[in-house]
Amino acid sequence: MENVETLAIDCSDKATREVNNLIRKAADDGVKQVEILNTQARHNIGVGILKPIHLIYRGHVGYYTVGLCDNVTAEIHGTAGWGVGDNLLAGEVVVHGNAASSAAPSLRGGRVIVKGDSGPRSGVYLKSGDVIIGGNAGYMSGFMMQNGRLVICGNAAKGLGDSMYQGQIWLGGEADEIGSGVEQVDPEDGELDAILTLLEQHKMKAPKAFKKLQSDRSLWNFNKHDFAAWKDAL
Amino acid sequence: MSNTFQRPPAFSGTWSPDTIEAIQEKAELGRYQIRGQATKRQDLPSFDDLVFTPAGLSRMPLEGYRERCDTKVVIGEGRVSRPLVLDRPIMIAGMSFGALSVNAKRALGIAATNCGISTCTGEGGMHPEERQHSSKLVMQYLPSRYGMNPYDLQKADMIEIGAGQGAKPGTGGVLLGLKMSEEVAKMRDLPPGVDQRSGCRHPDWMGADDLYMKLEQIREVTNYEVPISIKVGASRIANDVRIACKADVDAIVFDGMEGGTAASPAVQLDHAGIPTIAAVAEAVEALHDMGKQDDIKLIVGGGIKNGADAAKCLALGADVVYLGTAPMIALNCHAPIYLEDYERLGTTPYECQHCHTGLCPVGITTQLPKLMARLDVEEAAERVTNFLNAMTMEIQLFARSCGKNKVADLDPNDMRSLTHAASMMTGIPMVGLNGRKPWWTKF
Repeated sequence: MENVETLAIDCSDKATREVNNLIRKAADDGVKQVEILNTQARHNIGVGILKPIHLIYRGHVGYYTVGLCDNVTAEIHGTAGWGVGDNLLAGEVVVHGNAASSAAPSLRGGRVIVKGDSGPRSGVYLKSGDVIIGGNAGYMSGFMMQNGRLVICGNAAKGLGDSMYQGQIWLGGEADEIGSGVEQVDPEDGELDAILTLLEQHKMKAPKAFKKLQSDRSLWNFNKHDFAAWKDAL
Repeated sequence: MSNTFQRPPAFSGTWSPDTIEAIQEKAELGRYQIRGQATKRQDLPSFDDLVFTPAGLSRMPLEGYRERCDTKVVIGEGRVSRPLVLDRPIMIAGMSFGALSVNAKRALGIAATNCGISTCTGEGGMHPEERQHSSKLVMQYLPSRYGMNPYDLQKADMIEIGAGQGAKPGTGGVLLGLKMSEEVAKMRDLPPGVDQRSGCRHPDWMGADDLYMKLEQIREVTNYEVPISIKVGASRIANDVRIACKADVDAIVFDGMEGGTAASPAVQLDHAGIPTIAAVAEAVEALHDMGKQDDIKLIVGGGIKNGADAAKCLALGADVVYLGTAPMIALNCHAPIYLEDYERLGTTPYECQHCHTGLCPVGITTQLPKLMARLDVEEAAERVTNFLNAMTMEIQLFARSCGKNKVADLDPNDMRSLTHAASMMTGIPMVGLNGRKPWWTKF
């Protein structure tokens, strides 16, 4: 596959393992990008890819797309199933449609962008990097996030950022309910500009204003005088 | 001769000293009690309720020092390209770097390597020292995904998807702030000193269908090379076995309610899950119901303390026993040394359950350098090696005495129950009945 700029892989007649092996071989051979056709919402397509390559998914994808990858960039032209960008270490995944539950779980670096809406638990256990949602985010998004930035341009359902340890949530719309241990704070100089620049780079419409949310650290260590928070957190 | 009579204290059964102490501790702390090690219950059915019925005239035993008794177990044989080969039917259970000091992890790794068995990372990621010292290393894939990355998954010899533990089934991990050192925190992407509470369920799968996809993902990352197990706290065994079979795991791990922990709510330790002896019986039956008893290995842990427990567990149908607390005790846990530090914790050797505090007097469950230095790695590794060797000999002793040249050939017919409860749970006949109904039922 040397000197191939773009490799096309048709999923319709291939097992998942075969598709992933072809992607890995393409990355080994220095192919710049792979166009994945007839994705048919298949699961685990583009998983465990550890060398730089750009993946273009033409269609809907299933669970764990671009999961457990490093240095991979991807564009998904359809909707994504559960756990898109699971545990990504570095790179960027752009979902041009909506994402199902648990988008970018335990992200450890890089960026996952969902241009549409994202389901419950988006950015759950976020450890580092950015999760950016152009539309609304579901229940308990940002649950137990440990660091990084979760940007939601639209509204958020209940439990936003519940039990988050560190990191930032930027909310453009309203949350049905903020989770335990979360407070709204004033942005520091330059923080908002960085978010807006990111949105502009990805041709995403920014809301009129953003609220910055972060951990109030009340759940970092047990406090018997703050039972109300712990009753819901434990 | 003294004329005074010292009347023994007449404690209330309901309001025992332990109950009173628990209420007063909750009144002080404002939260549930947390403690380490395991349940304090003394009324659980156990492997002690079973006895072996070795060979006599009707069956010939094997010579202890002359005739071989095979102990090897292979997990994933015929299923993956690099199955896990264990020289003995024993694995060291998952105990995290964080819960344990790095010296304890090193010592366990050396001992396991000496014995041809595996250790397990536990939560918090793969510490390079553990990978270096353990020739066979299982990596746990847990809800929190602390330290998780594909490179370490590829370095592992087996992946264990953690879906619960026997000490606290249905809840997540706890690591209190004193143990959240700079190094532990960095590996887990957490702030140092924070009381860590881990999620109790995985963030990106919920049911049987999802689990199948998750397994496929991990098999893709590890190139279908190494086996994958799933670990569950012993609770709803039969249904859990069915789901694990559907997901096509290579091994199922059940951890009974006697299982160990570095930190658990005390009520959870004492009142949740089912005993190990019941778990193994139910799991074996469920595997047979699914027709998977030859494909999927059964690993069972929870309070297994010697070769007798292990041999009985294997005879009931487990393929491997999981040990956590016992090798920790072999490391030096509970050793009657540094007595003043036990006293400072308000405890003594043999009753200490203060793993959660991070102030382990013998340097095992701590991250404080001064305490960690108390565990000499080489000496500790030798003690654990000796213990594992002794335990292996005990298992072989029972196998040979029952006329078996493989420990895997031990079976339920080699045992009898001492109690009705054990008999009901395991189906092992009561002693003296020879598997038949009582003689008086004939009349």
